[in-house]
Amino acid sequence: MATVTFDNATRQYPGNPKPSVDKLNIEIADGEFLVLVGPSGCGKSTSLRMLAGLEEVNGGRILIGDRDVTNLSPKDRDVAMVFQNYALYPHMSVADNMGFALKIAGVDKAEIRKRVEEAAKILDLTPYLDRKPKALSGGQRQRVAMGRAIVRSPQVFLMDEPLSNLDAKLRVQTRTQIASLQRRLGVTTVYVTHDQVEAMTMGDRVAVLKDGILQQCDSPRRMYDHPANVFVAGFIGSPAMNLMDVPVTDGGVDLHGHTVPVAREDLTNAGKHVTLGVRPEDLELSSDTSGIPVTVDVVEELGADAYIYGTAEQKLLEATGENAGDVPFIARVDGRRPPEKGEKIYLKPKPGHVHVFNAESGLRIGD
Amino acid sequence: MGVANPPRTASDAKAPKEQEPSPAPRGDRAVTAVSHIVLAIWSIIVILPLVWVFLSSWKTTGEIFKSPLALPQHWSFDNYIGAWTDSHIGRYMLNSVIVVTSALVIVMILGSAAAYSLARYPFPGSGVVYYFILAGLTFPIFLAIVPLFFVLKNVGLLNTLPGLIATYVAFAFPFTVFFLYPFFRALPQEIAEAAELDGAGEWRTFAQVMVPMARPGIVAIAIFNFLGLWNQFLLPIALNTNEDNYVLSQGMARFASQAGYAVDFGQLFAAVVITIVPVLAVYIFSQRQLQGSLSQGTLK
Repeated sequence: MATVTFDNATRQYPGNPKPSVDKLNIEIADGEFLVLVGPSGCGKSTSLRMLAGLEEVNGGRILIGDRDVTNLSPKDRDVAMVFQNYALYPHMSVADNMGFALKIAGVDKAEIRKRVEEAAKILDLTPYLDRKPKALSGGQRQRVAMGRAIVRSPQVFLMDEPLSNLDAKLRVQTRTQIASLQRRLGVTTVYVTHDQVEAMTMGDRVAVLKDGILQQCDSPRRMYDHPANVFVAGFIGSPAMNLMDVPVTDGGVDLHGHTVPVAREDLTNAGKHVTLGVRPEDLELSSDTSGIPVTVDVVEELGADAYIYGTAEQKLLEATGENAGDVPFIARVDGRRPPEKGEKIYLKPKPGHVHVFNAESGLRIGD
Repeated sequence: MGVANPPRTASDAKAPKEQEPSPAPRGDRAVTAVSHIVLAIWSIIVILPLVWVFLSSWKTTGEIFKSPLALPQHWSFDNYIGAWTDSHIGRYMLNSVIVVTSALVIVMILGSAAAYSLARYPFPGSGVVYYFILAGLTFPIFLAIVPLFFVLKNVGLLNTLPGLIATYVAFAFPFTVFFLYPFFRALPQEIAEAAELDGAGEWRTFAQVMVPMARPGIVAIAIFNFLGLWNQFLLPIALNTNEDNYVLSQGMARFASQAGYAVDFGQLFAAVVITIVPVLAVYIFSQRQLQGSLSQGTLK
């Protein structure tokens, strides 16, 4: 068990003008489950591979516990990794796959057998220990890959999109299993995924990356309720948060005649308009024609709820009526009385559930 | 039955309609039939001479000339015993086994190591090295015979088994590298990384992870090399002229040529059978290995 520290860790591929991971700073507590999430090409896998020692570090340091591992080879770092395609040795039995690291480390056979059997028991793999990986289902292979990491009892688990090759149902099950297994074993874990639902459900903390730069690192709850910038706001949450530019008015921001209160001191440097974010579930149907006018394109009925997919007018300045174009808009409404397709409805955000961002820098304004 | 009848007739009526759009299967059947006939003829062309040699190996020369296609009058091991002892086929066989096995082991180790490092560790000039090895493939061995003769003579290995082994290794090396290179290149990088994280060094990764995964290729090229070296004639005839060191191919040639018109054909055919059997055995054995490892494959 150990903490993991990224200290200004940077990776720049030769011939690439921009670093793939740019001055990454994260401190991961002992036993913590940290999820690295972001769109493809954001540098999350590269960060993980830097920690594993599979990728060179061009600047900064990486520490495991108090040990500076920046220039250590992978085998000296005491980390175990679960790969996206599992990377099982096809010619070895399940037991040999799981025990390979211990065999190399010179652990005696009886001890290897014992630890492999323990891990197999945890993962329900006992009947398959003598099989070759090709004779296993996708889910079983995934568990063997987990087992291979577990038997080593390393200081850190590294997981690189381990669920992306499973079907949807199995992915949800395995998600919970991995999370609970990690809690039970208490091993510090860094988990990479592009799926924000995985990130939210599994991690103690979630780190969102974009273009090699860390956007925010927070607990899932905090990430959801207080996204640090427009990118995080739009990335976390499904369906995504509605984002639109709105004009600043006296005492708040103006939503087509409906004023959303924002503290004056927060808006002093914001300029004439700001970006407003509202989650689909934080919207109510307006009783009159104040609020955001939305033309309904599609209604998705999910039983208890219904999601409305529509387009909203984005009015920047009330006075001139300048129109910045339509933006897609999603709202959750009562499933029993959903609006009709093509209908024009007016939506108001619930008080206290709006996110305001600086329109230029994209940074969050206020709390 | 009365109840079952109407639907049956209905489906019977339908059946020909469903079969209407099926000229393709009929065409397929024609193709299958023709290709089976062609393959059968081909097999007969290949197998018949072998069978004839095998049967003749039990006959006396007189019998062979009198009735070439008849079965032997009585089955006796005389020809085989004669070939093995009088004609020294036993000793030639031993020489062949020593030379081919040693050369095969060495060339497989060197070739797979070279192919592995070229395929997986790009270094400055690795492309040049690879193409240099490939150039060896295109070089006709005839042109090298005389220089080879003097090289071996100068290092004192002419007419010795080690000299022949070294020549065989050099001869089989380029194709071995050429053949194994794509196999090692196609192996997933992820597995090499997994081994690295498991603590395996480069050599262990090569020997315990990568080589077993490239087994289909390694087995295939090993069979190919075995057959090629076993039947090699030009190199030994030029570089291995000491009769005690003769390999099988040389022995057979001597057998056939030395006696002029008085060849003991029965014994000659027995010697041929003795020569063929190890090759067949190796092939059949490794065939199973090959299929086993091919079906094992890599995992997606």
